[in-house]
Amino acid sequence: MREFLVDALLTAGWVLTAHVALFHLVTLLLVLAGARRVWRNRHWRGVEGHDETFASPLTPAVSILVPAHDEEAGILDTLSAALGQKYPALEVVLVDDGSTDRTFALVAARYALREVAPRPTADLPVDGEILSVHRATTGDPLLVLRKHSVGRRSDALNAALNHARHPLVCMVDADSLLETEALLQVSRPFVEDPDNVVAAGGVIRAANGALTDRGTMLEPRLSRRWVVRVQVIEYLRSFLLGRTGWADAQALLIISGAFGLFRRDVVLEVGGMDPNSLAEDAELVVTIQEHLRRRRRPHRVVFVPQTVCWTEVPESWQVLGRQRKRWSHGLGQLLWKHRRMIGNPRYGPIGVLALPFFLLFELLGPVVEIVGVAAVVTSMVLGLVEPAIAGAVLVLAIALGVLLSATAIAVEELTYHRYGRGRDLLGLMAAALVEHLWFRWAHSWYRLRGLVAALTRRSPVWTAMPRVGFSGHPASAGRPVPADVLVPAERLVPVGS
Amino acid sequence: MTALPGPVLLLSTGVTGLVVLLLLSVGGAHLARRRREQRDASRRAALTPLVYNLLDGEQTAQSLADAPAVLDDVVLHLLPQLRGNDRQVLRDLLVARGVVDRAAEQLSARAPWRRGRAAMLLGATGSTRHTPDLVTLLEDRSPDVRSAATRALGKAGDVAAVPYLLAALTTFRPVPSGIVGMAVLDLGTPALPALRTALDSGTASARALSASLLGLHGDLPAVAALTAALDDPGAPPHVRRAAAGALGRIGAPQAGDALSRVTVFAVDPALRQAAAEALGRIGDPDCVPALAAGMSASDLRVRTACADALASITPEGRDRLRALGALDGPAAPAARAALDAVSSAAPRSLAGAS
Repeated sequence: MREFLVDALLTAGWVLTAHVALFHLVTLLLVLAGARRVWRNRHWRGVEGHDETFASPLTPAVSILVPAHDEEAGILDTLSAALGQKYPALEVVLVDDGSTDRTFALVAARYALREVAPRPTADLPVDGEILSVHRATTGDPLLVLRKHSVGRRSDALNAALNHARHPLVCMVDADSLLETEALLQVSRPFVEDPDNVVAAGGVIRAANGALTDRGTMLEPRLSRRWVVRVQVIEYLRSFLLGRTGWADAQALLIISGAFGLFRRDVVLEVGGMDPNSLAEDAELVVTIQEHLRRRRRPHRVVFVPQTVCWTEVPESWQVLGRQRKRWSHGLGQLLWKHRRMIGNPRYGPIGVLALPFFLLFELLGPVVEIVGVAAVVTSMVLGLVEPAIAGAVLVLAIALGVLLSATAIAVEELTYHRYGRGRDLLGLMAAALVEHLWFRWAHSWYRLRGLVAALTRRSPVWTAMPRVGFSGHPASAGRPVPADVLVPAERLVPVGS
Repeated sequence: MTALPGPVLLLSTGVTGLVVLLLLSVGGAHLARRRREQRDASRRAALTPLVYNLLDGEQTAQSLADAPAVLDDVVLHLLPQLRGNDRQVLRDLLVARGVVDRAAEQLSARAPWRRGRAAMLLGATGSTRHTPDLVTLLEDRSPDVRSAATRALGKAGDVAAVPYLLAALTTFRPVPSGIVGMAVLDLGTPALPALRTALDSGTASARALSASLLGLHGDLPAVAALTAALDDPGAPPHVRRAAAGALGRIGAPQAGDALSRVTVFAVDPALRQAAAEALGRIGDPDCVPALAAGMSASDLRVRTACADALASITPEGRDRLRALGALDGPAAPAARAALDAVSSAAPRSLAGAS
């Protein structure tokens, strides 16, 4: 029995070591690929100024879809940013998904909404009843749908897709601020290669702590909260290095739900958003690529690293934990649903590179890390491994993690340098060091819980994140709300009844 | 696990050293960048008035020949915003400073970014001397360089490049259609004869793009060829869709019959939708019956497009929509929504508000 225990513990230790080494090797390759691209773009981006895209009659119109549930803290800023896009032709379709706060009332007052007859352009299935449809009378191209919430963002997005009118759809979270030229930048691949590009994503950055005014980012600043700072590092690493590398390998699996642009006809062709997925953004990208690969239709999913969308990230451990658990649960659902693609060369780099990576390192990573560390600690207690050796391996794992984070900061500073203040840069460096001491382990724990939820097939639950708004003051971009527009959703009568 | 310590410790030390070096470099780069930005800003502030003096004729290009390199950035930034003599003055300045010659040499550089940047610069200067070199770059190994050469040909303004640009759509190393389209649009109306030729005898991709561009130019002489392309059941669907869109943009009532036939009888819903949208743009009351027939289509997109088109034909189309909206069936909601969208009635009170 003891021999078996010893063997198991040592095996777990070796598996952990191999896993860490392999993960860092693959990530290093991705980082090198991404850094190469970013470095090359320093000399020449390979594209023209945005004025050409703006002025071109070939630039397709865009419908910006914004699902919102209890988003009174930032909804007016988000709408200001969306409607203030420098783009030749756009509309914004806001879905008030059963909000119980003043989300609709604020929008109704700010944009003087009037009710109009619904004008669907597609018939994707939507579970929550559409209660009413409204249009702005202020001259803004804004359409607002009120619907009963069924607790799923995908349902709100499908409702928005049914009412969008333009050939491209941009999905934006209701707690996100688009930079003025974001749409112009992310739509460029569609303008240049309209036959092949089916989806494009940009960089998401944390807006917490930044200086904003009425939906405009004035000065990016680093939050004082460490839980936010480590997420800033995490986002930099993921977007500036990871996704650039995956996109170069033609294996981009995720376009963030906070900001992604898609060809509407293709989204409708695959049936819209999966109503049961908790990772509906990744799910949509994988479904589109599976669908087009099966039909041998040429397609490209691109990543535009210059494009930035600022979003509010969790400011407390509790909310962060819920978010990460949901992401992991969603990833588990996605990998199970598309299990036939994993390792399948028929699906190209997505099948043989991206999906196996996400299975081994993103989904199963927490299991290996937590079980492996527990095994190493037990081995030390039992005297099977010298503490110096375990410590050396731990230090190496941490150092490799810090190296990746430091590379992300270096790329940020050498290319985009959004953080102008020296103190913000120092804060980022400090966060890169401390991230691997505690955040990584807490993160693994949250992801493990998400994996368990996925394995036990628990019903997906969408939990709303508490918002503080971009300025810290709810409804900063609006005027006072008249009492007569404060109509609770339950008092509304569904359209057509 | 017991065999690990030596190499692991060595590796840990190496990685830690690398981290420290990287973070120090980042700090250094941050400081250096701030200094460089301040220096460039002050140089730009000093040089910009000199460029304006040059444009006002108070200074000669020769006097700025030895100015710092930042001047080239200032000039290249201004160049696309200027036309006529001012633009020519700045081009002459770039020639005098040797920028154009250096760029021409860089067209055969080894690094793709050098070739691409050189092509872009030659396009910005509007020089047609290098058209053959830029045409050669249309088959470059690097997609970015091919795109840059395409854009440069459009900006240089040499209409002889149109056949090469359209051919680049379907070569072994193709250029995306949007980039070719923008380049040909940059060439303006002198490109129209070549586009008409491509619509008749080009590849499917060239025909579709030519049709779209002819529509954007509102080219009346192309109506017959566009109508023929639309009516040709053997033509690829995307060519027919592009032809329908172009006829709508041109606003050609003589294409009304062909568009009506396609709206009612075509199989492809996207083509029917494009034809209905074109009829809406043309606004010919004679097409109302076809659009009303299209309202009974099973595809929602076709119904919606027909309803929108009818709403844009006043008063005949809107009268028909009112009649359809009063009936039962799938056409009624689309008819009512289209009328509501164009209605200028006073805002209704919000549902549920009291």
